Amino acid sequence: MHFHRHLIAAAVYALAALPLAAQELGTPEGDILLTIDGAITETNDDGRAVFDRAMLEALGPVTFETETTWTEGVQTFTGVELATLLEAVGATGDSIAATAINDYAVDIPREDWVEGGPIVAYLRNGEEMPVRDKGPLWVVYPFDASEDYQTEVIYSRSIWQLDRITVAE
Amino acid sequence: MLQDAGPADEAPGSRTLLWVFLLLLCFGAAVGMGWLVLREIEDLGTANSDNAQWSLAQTEVEFLQFQLAIERAGEEEVSLDTLRRRFDVFYSRIGTFASASTYSAVRSSPEFIAANEEITDFLDAAVPVIDSPDAQLAAALPALSAEAQALLPQVRALSLAGLASFAESSDERREDVRRTLAQMVGVLGLLLGGFALLTNSFRRLYRVSRRQAQAMERAGDRMRAIVEAAADAILVCDRDGAILDMNTAGVRLFGYSREEGIGRRALETIYPADVAPALQEATRAFFQEDGRAGTTALHYETEAVSRSGRRFPAEVSIARTADETDPIYVAFIRDISRRKEAEEGLTEARDKALAGERAKAEFLAVMSHEMRTPLNGLMGTMQLMRDHSLSQRQSELLDRMHSSGRLLLGLVNDVLDLAKFEAGKLKAERRPFSVSALLDGVVETTATLASSNGNSLRWRPLTPGLDIVRGDSRRLRQVLLNLVGNAVKFTRAGSIDIEVERLPGEGGLVEFRVADTGIGIAEAQLERIFQDFETLDSSYSRQAGGTGLGLGIARRLVGVMGGEIGVESEPGEGSLFWVRLSLPPAEAEETPLPGQGGNATLPVRPLDVLLVEDNEMNRFVARGLLESEGHKVTEAVDGRAGVEWAESHPFDVILMDISMPVMDGQTAARKIRAGSGRSATTPIIALTAHALPEEVERFREAGMAHCLSKPIDRKVLSGLLRGIAAGYSGGSVTMAEPASGLIDRAQLGELSQTIRPADLERLLATFRAEMDEGVTRLTASDLPPAELGALAHKCAGSCATLGLTALRQLLGRVETAAKRGEVSEGDLAQLPELWAESRQALDAWQGEQALTE
Repeated sequence: MHFHRHLIAAAVYALAALPLAAQELGTPEGDILLTIDGAITETNDDGRAVFDRAMLEALGPVTFETETTWTEGVQTFTGVELATLLEAVGATGDSIAATAINDYAVDIPREDWVEGGPIVAYLRNGEEMPVRDKGPLWVVYPFDASEDYQTEVIYSRSIWQLDRITVAE
Repeated sequence: MLQDAGPADEAPGSRTLLWVFLLLLCFGAAVGMGWLVLREIEDLGTANSDNAQWSLAQTEVEFLQFQLAIERAGEEEVSLDTLRRRFDVFYSRIGTFASASTYSAVRSSPEFIAANEEITDFLDAAVPVIDSPDAQLAAALPALSAEAQALLPQVRALSLAGLASFAESSDERREDVRRTLAQMVGVLGLLLGGFALLTNSFRRLYRVSRRQAQAMERAGDRMRAIVEAAADAILVCDRDGAILDMNTAGVRLFGYSREEGIGRRALETIYPADVAPALQEATRAFFQEDGRAGTTALHYETEAVSRSGRRFPAEVSIARTADETDPIYVAFIRDISRRKEAEEGLTEARDKALAGERAKAEFLAVMSHEMRTPLNGLMGTMQLMRDHSLSQRQSELLDRMHSSGRLLLGLVNDVLDLAKFEAGKLKAERRPFSVSALLDGVVETTATLASSNGNSLRWRPLTPGLDIVRGDSRRLRQVLLNLVGNAVKFTRAGSIDIEVERLPGEGGLVEFRVADTGIGIAEAQLERIFQDFETLDSSYSRQAGGTGLGLGIARRLVGVMGGEIGVESEPGEGSLFWVRLSLPPAEAEETPLPGQGGNATLPVRPLDVLLVEDNEMNRFVARGLLESEGHKVTEAVDGRAGVEWAESHPFDVILMDISMPVMDGQTAARKIRAGSGRSATTPIIALTAHALPEEVERFREAGMAHCLSKPIDRKVLSGLLRGIAAGYSGGSVTMAEPASGLIDRAQLGELSQTIRPADLERLLATFRAEMDEGVTRLTASDLPPAELGALAHKCAGSCATLGLTALRQLLGRVETAAKRGEVSEGDLAQLPELWAESRQALDAWQGEQALTE
């Protein structure tokens, strides 16, 4: 049910985001939250794509509810879909290496970058996430939507305190 | 055989059911277990944690990085922001432990709780410091470093506590998986076992059904073989009588091939047209019971016909059995023409054999009867000859002839007895008699012969008080005389003991035993001796004489009396013959046998006699006897002539032969009595050979009050006529012993009526002693004729008194000769034998008298 609704929402925002993708990424005005480099076509900072909060929000927010193994109770996450984000930077590779502030790193293959798939969340339960509580960005899969997302591999790809993405060549 | 398979069939069936039940259980267990396993698999498929151990280890790393950042920030190698970032990362990590479900198990560990508490306290304390402006933070760095240094062991402890907990839960998890897998293996094993059982069960079922199929096939084969091998024709028909199948014997018998026969109507095919309708009618009931299979089969004999038209007697037996729906009839048809022929042959043979037996018996009876008639003629004629003056030599020869004639007559009577037994004409009497008197008589009769063989002879009662009993004394005497006679014959210088004993128990059985110390009888011959014409030792039998019928007749007599006879013997030591009879005790005062009537003292007046007799020789003899007494004789040649004479003429007495052509004596006597002729009330004397008591009774009913045995004894006849002449009409039939011409029963009867029994007995005893001495002296042949004559006269007188007629006559001749000064050697030679015979006769009479007392 959620999945279905998210799917529709994702489609709507994807269509809306399409002209942006074709244009320049824009320039960050606030704190840089995320840096993307590697095999990307769109850049805004010396071969890299950097994003502040507003830029991420501009890519089209997606919200869903799910439980996670790291939290108690149902959580509401809002963020940009990984698929939308990577499309926005014109990622050409088949895999990304995502790295956290705490230097945790994990590869996420292209098959995960789908509509209705994981999002790069910047709101949890409608609030920003501080670093002290897994913020500011957290790759969250809609775990409750499919059992396929309830695996250790997916859990390992759910990286919090995300700050860098390198798209593999 | 199919019924045998039944109960065996049932057991595998119920076992199979059990197997199926077990298998279902297995399946149930397997499904349940499978569900559990699937759930387990599902649980394993959805991971509920990321790599928790890495996270725990990372805690320490991140803390160390934070510590490092503090130190470096102090030396201004890194910015305070980096320090703040490291703090935040560490803070976030610790927060994760508080909320992540992965760590719920770890959170309950006391070590973890303690460590977590201290760390949280540190973090809470550090937050204001970290969040303070750079100057304050920089100033607080040394203190923060020291605190962090102090916390390091707690971080370590937290990490280790988590590791231990995860190791445990990992072990549990592994154990769960292991147990689930083991259970699965178990269930798989069960399932496999179940499959094996089911397979086995199916295999057994298959085998059973296969065996049954084979058994049925074999049974079918056997049945086919039996049907084909059967000598009887077997036809199988449907309910309409159409032939469904027939066997080879059927093909042979009826001449139709199987193909021709099948489909035809059996009734019209195998029975002749004139038999079939009646047969159909007769068997309708059976075929109308249609459908009730297993009811009784139908059997009948009829006539059948083959294709060629041969008709033959057949035995048919039809059984009904059931197909799925319709009844089926199986007919067995047997050609019984040979059996019929054999039966007829057998019947014929049996008829012939029976006819042969009858002819033999008749021949014996007729022959002995016919032989007796001329023999009677001879004997009578010899008696008549004595009335003429004979020389001594002639008289001797006549005596020999007479003696031989009597012997011959005895043999003929034996044979006639046998013939009568064969004809089943004898019946036993049941009258009271004295056992002791009878045995006295038997002993006295045989005493002379016993002593001449040097034997002692005696009898003794083993049961006191056994005397008057009810039975057939005459036949018993005959049996005992025979047994004692044999014992005496076959014993030399030994002893013969007669014992009599009443046996205990019901039925009033009395046993007579005749034991001798003679030559004995070999065991192998014990059975044979009671057979007819059986003489064991030819030399002895010749020595002893006889037809060999004696024991055979004794056996029959005992049989007639309802008793048993038997023998035990040891060759060389002696024999014991026993007779067991039912002789119930009788009341002593019961009516005794009538005595012999007659009055010897009365003079005989001439009588007018009608002689009815078909045999010319007998007529001649009888006429001679009667006329010699001075009577007038009228002859009639048969019963009818006799009746006619009796109608027209008043006779004083009628002598009536019994068996005559045209009309027999009994019929004639009835007619005379029934008519109103002039001799309607004239006494009639029956003339018969060997009359039986029941016959005598019939004669009396026919109106013949007297009976005279042939050959006619002159003395008996004259005694009887004397009685009739004197107006004596005995209330009972007068019976005369045929061979007892020796004594005058009438005279003795008279004597017994005038003298008291005790006196008579004393008289007879004196007489015997006197005669014994007299005969001894007379035959000593040293007496002068005068003394001889006087002694003969004295003895003759005694004999006359007691009615010993023959002896008196002989003594009379001796006396007459002596008076002439001669010695009659021939007469003297006869004297001992005649005395012995007379004495026996006298003894016998005395025995009978004893019964009447």
